Amino acid sequence: MTLSIVMYTIANHDRQQHSQASRERGLRRKGARMKDLRLAGNLAMEGRSVVEVGGVRIGEVFTVIAGPCSVESEDQTIRTAVAVKEAGATMLRGGAFKPRTSPYAFQGLGLKGLKILEKARRETGLPIVTEVIDTRDVSWVGEYADILQIGARNMQNFSLLREAGKSGRPILLKRGMHATFEEWLNCAEYILAEGNPGVILCERGIRTFETYTRNTLDLSMIPAVKLNSHLPVIIDPSHGTGILEMIEPMSLAAIAAGADGLEIEVHIDPPNAMSDKAQQLTPEAFMRLMDKIRRLRAFMAELNADPEHMLAEQDKTGPTQSRSRAARA
Amino acid sequence: MNLEDLRNDIDRIDERLLSLLEERMEKALLSRTFKPDGIRDPEREESVLERARRPLRPLVSPDFSGGLWSRIMEESRSIQAQRLVTIGFQGAHGAWSEVAARAWSPTLATMPCPDFADVFQAVRDGWFDYGIVPVENTLGGLVGQVNSLLVYADLRIVAAIDLPVSHCLLTLPGTDHRDIRQVYSHEQALSQCRGFLSRNRLDPMPYFDTAGAARMIAEERPRAAAALASRFAGELYGLETIKEGVQDAEVNRTRFFVLSKRDAVPSPAFAEAVASQKGLTAPIMKCSVVFNATDKAGGLFGILEIFAKAGINLTRIESVPDKPGDYAIFIDFEGEEDDPKVATAIKASESVARGFRVLGCYGERRVSQ
Repeated sequence: MTLSIVMYTIANHDRQQHSQASRERGLRRKGARMKDLRLAGNLAMEGRSVVEVGGVRIGEVFTVIAGPCSVESEDQTIRTAVAVKEAGATMLRGGAFKPRTSPYAFQGLGLKGLKILEKARRETGLPIVTEVIDTRDVSWVGEYADILQIGARNMQNFSLLREAGKSGRPILLKRGMHATFEEWLNCAEYILAEGNPGVILCERGIRTFETYTRNTLDLSMIPAVKLNSHLPVIIDPSHGTGILEMIEPMSLAAIAAGADGLEIEVHIDPPNAMSDKAQQLTPEAFMRLMDKIRRLRAFMAELNADPEHMLAEQDKTGPTQSRSRAARA
Repeated sequence: MNLEDLRNDIDRIDERLLSLLEERMEKALLSRTFKPDGIRDPEREESVLERARRPLRPLVSPDFSGGLWSRIMEESRSIQAQRLVTIGFQGAHGAWSEVAARAWSPTLATMPCPDFADVFQAVRDGWFDYGIVPVENTLGGLVGQVNSLLVYADLRIVAAIDLPVSHCLLTLPGTDHRDIRQVYSHEQALSQCRGFLSRNRLDPMPYFDTAGAARMIAEERPRAAAALASRFAGELYGLETIKEGVQDAEVNRTRFFVLSKRDAVPSPAFAEAVASQKGLTAPIMKCSVVFNATDKAGGLFGILEIFAKAGINLTRIESVPDKPGDYAIFIDFEGEEDDPKVATAIKASESVARGFRVLGCYGERRVSQ
């Protein structure tokens, strides 16, 4: 069994946008309201926190968590796990306990689902991310999974947050669909306050008057987190849009905005999925997306490696010319 | 009362029936010793049938019980007629010793004994062909009682099995794992899983035996309870595995000795079956000896020196209290009896050590994880 060790480490490549000056600017912008973020706020530590799980260092190395919405069977889960690993995913997701809108909808396989996920880890070596919805389940889910996910609907379930904080497992904290940025960070504070330093934030879209998309994916949260907190932030474009064709553009946009990772739903046979049929990628589509992700990240690394460009962007108001763009021209 | 409760009761009764049938077959198998030629005893059979057919129970008709018992006795005779090789182990069916015995040879008839001493005694008296006992565990260390018995046992070690011990949390099927409050098992197993129990707020409940705890859960069906035992015990008693490998240390292995009478010779077919058994590593040849420490300076050193000079690798040195003020020293080393190097070292030790005895030279095999 992989024992995940969670620890704070200080990222040695302190990027420009996290300079002391910009952090203070972020804090000023929100004024006193952020003052209670003793542990989640960016003044709690120097640099960015890194959550290490089964050899994957989230916050330092770009992380792609992929897998089915629900664990439906051993065959479906293991085949999907093998496929996403081949495509380059670093972790496997899969729901065993499903918080569904309707009480009559598929509620997940429960314990059986956890056992299947454990087997998928044995077969692929991918660390497991799975949602926990009941305080009584927290310690048990921690026996099978590497990262516990607190879903959007439970973001402000404070007893669940406290229990998750006590579990000692890293927590992937999704933003509630009606939660403000500040409320979200305060929920992270609940977990941190229990002595659990392993919190990963995940933006998955919020409710707006727009109904075309399932949710409105709020990518502005990425720089907001970077300005106000040291915690890693990842993006879930699957729930964020609920529309298959939008997953790729929003994934790429998230990378451009500086996300630490993505959580993407992939199913071996999406038309026959038991939940979230419309937003699960096939392994082939996921592989194509991973290829674009790699290429964009290479470009972003080149872009961000140029400190002069960053400074220019912050100081000037007009269009800027980066060295890399100049080199291309 | 509802249908589910009734079915639960029926399941519980069935578990007991199966355990009792197993026990009855074990007794029948042992009685073959008194019937060397497989001679039937019609008088005895008649009296058993008559008792079964007594028309005292309204729902068990004489025809039904008579038919059932005829079938049971037929099965007993068939078991007696098979040339089954028996092996005794301590604990209830599903114990780790039985798991080790089945790893050594799955064709064995495994016979439960209440105590380690019973295993030794039954092998010496010829009731069982073999006995299997745990000697040492990576977490718990020496199994003191077994080693004390080995000092005086007039038995031979014929094999050693190194078995990974991975405890399973077992419950009645359909139990919600979140309702579990008490976990029953042998104290040793409970202590090996302390972290897991405390993380999940489970109360450890000491029980005489790991497999016995599993059987108790299956038979008595206590609410909110689970057992820690082998996966085999779970299968045997129809329990559901909530989680396998809940011990805190990743490496947890127990070493077992297979014992037989000194002069016993296994049938060639059985020896062949054991040698070709899959799932184990190739045997490493070892010898085990025991002697008493001489009460003078350098007494133990003298023996160790013999082995060191012969270039023999010692794999275990253990002492157990013997008579007051006296200690028995066990040494296991790599090598074969007919290796001249080993033979010379043994001969040299015999003249130096008090009560020097070779307990056996045998192949040791590891069961993979």
